[in-house]
Amino acid sequence: MNTHWSSLVYTTFVMGALAVYLLMPRAGRSTNIAGTLIGMVALALAMFLCADMFVGTSSGNALFYASAVIALASAVKVITDEKPVYSALYFVLTVLAITPLLILQHAEFLAIALVIIYAGAILVTYVFVIMLAQQGGRPACDHRARQPLLAVVGGFLTMAVIAGQMATLPDEQAVIVAAAPAPTSDAPLAEPDNTMQVGSVMLTQYVVAFELAGVLLLVAMIGAIAMSQKRIPSEKLVEPTKPPGQIGREVGPY
Amino acid sequence: MIRDEDIIVVDTPVLNAAERLYIPQIVAGMQVTLRHMFKKSITVQYPEQKRTLRLENYRGVHRLNRDEEGRVACVACFMCETACPAHCIHIVAEESPWDDREKYPLQFDIDELRCIYCGMCEEACPVDAIELTPEYNLVGRSRQEMVFDKEKLLKVYDQTKTEKPRKNPRITGYAGTGNRTEGQPTGDSH
Amino acid sequence: MLDILKDQFWFSAILTVVLIGAIMGVVAYCIYFERKISAWIQDRVGPNRVGPFGLFQPLADGAKFLFKEDIIPANVDKPLFLIAPVIAFGLAMIGFAVLPWGGNVDLDADGIIDVTAQVADPGIGLLYLLGVGSLGIYGVVLGGWANNNKYAFFSAMRSTAQMLSYEIPMGIAIFVVVITVGTLRLEDIVLSQIGEGNVWNIVLHPFAFIILLITIFAETNRTPFDLAEAEQELVGGYHTEYSALKFGMFFLGEYAHMITGSGFITILFLGGWHLPGVPGLQPGDVSIWAMLFKMTVMGAKIVGFLFLFMWVRWTIPRFRFDQLMRLSWKGLLPISMILAGYATTLVYLGKATNIPWALGGNVALLVIVLIYNGLRSGEITGRQANLPAIARPVEAHS
Repeated sequence: MNTHWSSLVYTTFVMGALAVYLLMPRAGRSTNIAGTLIGMVALALAMFLCADMFVGTSSGNALFYASAVIALASAVKVITDEKPVYSALYFVLTVLAITPLLILQHAEFLAIALVIIYAGAILVTYVFVIMLAQQGGRPACDHRARQPLLAVVGGFLTMAVIAGQMATLPDEQAVIVAAAPAPTSDAPLAEPDNTMQVGSVMLTQYVVAFELAGVLLLVAMIGAIAMSQKRIPSEKLVEPTKPPGQIGREVGPY
Repeated sequence: MIRDEDIIVVDTPVLNAAERLYIPQIVAGMQVTLRHMFKKSITVQYPEQKRTLRLENYRGVHRLNRDEEGRVACVACFMCETACPAHCIHIVAEESPWDDREKYPLQFDIDELRCIYCGMCEEACPVDAIELTPEYNLVGRSRQEMVFDKEKLLKVYDQTKTEKPRKNPRITGYAGTGNRTEGQPTGDSH
Repeated sequence: MLDILKDQFWFSAILTVVLIGAIMGVVAYCIYFERKISAWIQDRVGPNRVGPFGLFQPLADGAKFLFKEDIIPANVDKPLFLIAPVIAFGLAMIGFAVLPWGGNVDLDADGIIDVTAQVADPGIGLLYLLGVGSLGIYGVVLGGWANNNKYAFFSAMRSTAQMLSYEIPMGIAIFVVVITVGTLRLEDIVLSQIGEGNVWNIVLHPFAFIILLITIFAETNRTPFDLAEAEQELVGGYHTEYSALKFGMFFLGEYAHMITGSGFITILFLGGWHLPGVPGLQPGDVSIWAMLFKMTVMGAKIVGFLFLFMWVRWTIPRFRFDQLMRLSWKGLLPISMILAGYATTLVYLGKATNIPWALGGNVALLVIVLIYNGLRSGEITGRQANLPAIARPVEAHS
């Protein structure tokens, strides 16, 4: 690891932070060209840094860059877009763009599980709640970010620390490419053993955590059902005067 | 607010164990539809085939009847124009050139687009001059074309008289307004 | 030519083009046959004016979609309004990528398997299909919202709730098959139903087959689960404001989705391209003619399911929303969970492909369900009076 490389990493983060800060929604301004430009430069720098680290096949590389750029850009849009619905949809796009990255790491099961559960179920409900909540136009709080400076500094500081730590690890290439030894050929990524390995690890090594997570979800489900029950004080309950089937029987036709 | 007594509750049948699975019902329903798939269709292929209509009371395009001498039977009494709920009949009356009636229609227009084909004009006509024909195949290229004038209405009569003859051909004329010629049946004798 | 075909990449590329063409044609004729079958069931004739027996009706429909005015209403959310039909149609089309159409192929008969008659053969093909299916909601949701139309939005809401609810029994019914055959690769699932001592999965797990069939009806928004398009209540559903080709894309997407669903259930339960005992349809037959024969058989099975889809559509009336939810959460979900538990037990005992054991469990489940149904004599309604007191709103009778 050399200082030149590390300074590049930190420059990227500073530029990224600046870009996100400039892009944050403020009252009375919709787009920020400077922020967009700085963001693009930061994105290009990040990709350049990745090129230094990532070794793969040519088609895999193209896929990596495309989805990484889409994922990063849409992640920025999640927090900077003024329309909440668009934010949620950019979130969906981020999740979908991460999927190819996982597939490149030979984690097909994780990738598809992410799509099915996150994009296909959870985010649909997010999108829906936001759509339902936005029926009467957008409130003022959508037009400006709350504490943009603190949020940006905090977020990017954390990211920079993590990235810096990764960079100072003895063999940075090994860390980043650890999950997948670089494929030697353009062979189709058709190894089903990943799914099998995930399954067996879940039911042997991590069985306790797995079962605990299941129990937690069950408790959450029961809680949700209990909370959604409409509780009516019993004295307020009015029984119908006639049993169903009798009501309205003696009324003649109009 | 809907009152309790206004609610008409239909009892749902209590299903037995097999019916609660829905499957037997679905299979039965699908058998019915499958049987129908092989039945002969009852469609009338319209431009090639035509349905036989009940001539006496089908309410299609109007016509203006002619009397035995080929003159227009209308006496321009404005009864139909008055009765028309859609205000689609416009008559311009003129003194009759013939001596068996006082007036005759110089102009007789029916806007077939405004008409609702209720048949009130036919009911109102004291001399059964205006009638509705079984002709329903009525098209035109312009709105103007769909306003039928006297000649056109008479032509409709010429085209349909064999199919549906005039109801009371003996009613031809008046000696004067309100005075029916002797021996003639009343308008509602049919 | 043959040398290019021997490369899986080029073979897949050509197969993609052929498949897209074939599927677009099938989809167009699906619409024709939908109208024909509805006519036959209702003792009518159906489209018969364009060409002999009305066979050119799809061309006329397509031309109509192309040339109609493409209206974008004033207050729609334009980007989403434009992208929603593309999402609906695109997601319906990419599902075909993993369907195995004809097994392995040896193009030049030299005894070496050259290619697989399938666009892509990922190890997680089944999950891929599920993922694509679950993303299919977005077309409906975005379309319904971008319309800026309350009825369309209601429709999108219904559709979302329905798809989320039916994905669960669907997933569990698929799990029954997956745990039995032990693989997620679609070609392997087909192969596992072929050969000595192996039978189609429908014989082993008829209950799971029925559940999967029902959930596919729900996932494709077909009657009796087409609440999203209930014309009587919602004008036109989520595509109320769409016109011309954009409406056509929603329409085509629905039928493409049906074809994917049919292919899916064919592979999982009906042996894909295989017919037992028919020469030319066995895994050992790898000539190019065998491939075409297999594709034909697979296509025929899919067409059979499409006919079933249409037959059911013109037979069974639409569910009410509470009935729909009850069917999924109180009917299909418990049954499928019992099935999943039973299938897991069978795998543990090593009897996963043992017909008497597997079928016995299904029969026992049927008996249990019948007894349970018989013990519950109440009416099946969603009426307020039948709900437990705690859930009944006071306003209903004040």
